[in-house]
Amino acid sequence: MKLKLIYSFCIVLLASMAFSQDCEQIARDCSKYLEGKAGEKKFISDGQVYTAFLDREKAEFKTTLYGGSTYRIAASVGRKENYVIFTVKDSEGNVLFTNRKYKNAPYWDFEVANTIQVLLETELDTDFKVTGCAVMLIGFKQ
Amino acid sequence: MRKIFNYLVPTLFAFGTLMSCDGDGKEMDPDIKDPNKTLMTKFDNKVFSIPSPVQTSMLIKQLNLPFYSDILNDAGNVSGYSTKSAQALNLGLYGTDLGYSALYNESSYSLKYLSAVQKLSKKLGLSGAFDKSFMKRVEDHLSNQDTLMMLVSDAFMQGDMFLKNANRKSDAALILAGGWIESMYILSEINIKKATPRIVERIGEQQWTLVSIIDLLSEYNTKGANDELIGDLHDLQFYFDKIESKYTYVEPTTDVENKTTMLNHKLEIKIDTDILNQISMKIRSIREKITN
Repeated sequence: MKLKLIYSFCIVLLASMAFSQDCEQIARDCSKYLEGKAGEKKFISDGQVYTAFLDREKAEFKTTLYGGSTYRIAASVGRKENYVIFTVKDSEGNVLFTNRKYKNAPYWDFEVANTIQVLLETELDTDFKVTGCAVMLIGFKQ
Repeated sequence: MRKIFNYLVPTLFAFGTLMSCDGDGKEMDPDIKDPNKTLMTKFDNKVFSIPSPVQTSMLIKQLNLPFYSDILNDAGNVSGYSTKSAQALNLGLYGTDLGYSALYNESSYSLKYLSAVQKLSKKLGLSGAFDKSFMKRVEDHLSNQDTLMMLVSDAFMQGDMFLKNANRKSDAALILAGGWIESMYILSEINIKKATPRIVERIGEQQWTLVSIIDLLSEYNTKGANDELIGDLHDLQFYFDKIESKYTYVEPTTDVENKTTMLNHKLEIKIDTDILNQISMKIRSIREKITN
């Protein structure tokens, strides 16, 4: 009985360690997308890392994009660039953007004239990958 | 011994399998053959996003308003924050004050708030994000606002990642809440000193973020530790619900070559002066509870 408990504990511990390390590395890789091109002003991170373990479901969250700013939304599941699909919707459900239309581009910029509340949906492109840690980052500049 | 071996081998195998699933992923996961099979439960069902308080400071700076040092929290108060929740809330709060001072090139204030941020992050076990090398880089770039903003925001991002990975989401939530409350306080106090339509508008735009803050604190409300703060924020929400906003969808336009989409919608916000005053008073009282 004791051994079973130790075994279960080890599995949970090792799995969470592996997952954390995986996500951390992906977040580091993803943060490079916020740097932008040489000579251009870099995007400032909003200070948060959005992670979700995706299988065949979508992860979603709401955020506010302020008017007068340019935002960069970046998504990654690792070094391969085009495994994540992200979609931006407004509060009425209108699709404002999806990277699915642009070969699952790993990042996209948004020029925001007026403040807006958006819903960000993330899912894996199951043609390539069916499970994994997905990381999203949001950067901005004015 | 044999029993141990029986458990150890599959454990190591499972670990090896997990570790081998690195960031690259596989070209095609074999499990796709069975689309109905659920491989693992979700790690983090709810994801919350709170806009950076740095953006509030950027707006204030853009409006050419003077630097008001008197509205910021005294960096000397830092030693008085003894509970974990007070430390986390005030870490967010000082982070906002640091961003505001840095944007105005107020080096002496920036250094004071940097020191307060470092002290609180050490108490919260976040020294890795605000270590000596970070301090050195900040000191080297004190007069460069852009780099400074980048360094501080990246350090908060590292801290956020560390806390989430360590399953300390409650602390991460309080840091975000503290940062937001201070940015709201700065906005409303500046508006009292010098009424500015763009600032009033920005206060009105916080109604959605307030909902996210309440949801976030409620989700990670360990043993009811956030009950009082959540109650206060609900009171604040009562006034925010009276703000009128009208959103009109307009189709966005996309520049594929530059990977840029222009969001063309319209938004109108109307706030009654009495409501604005009530919001300012409530924010002041919430902030006072956190800083004292």
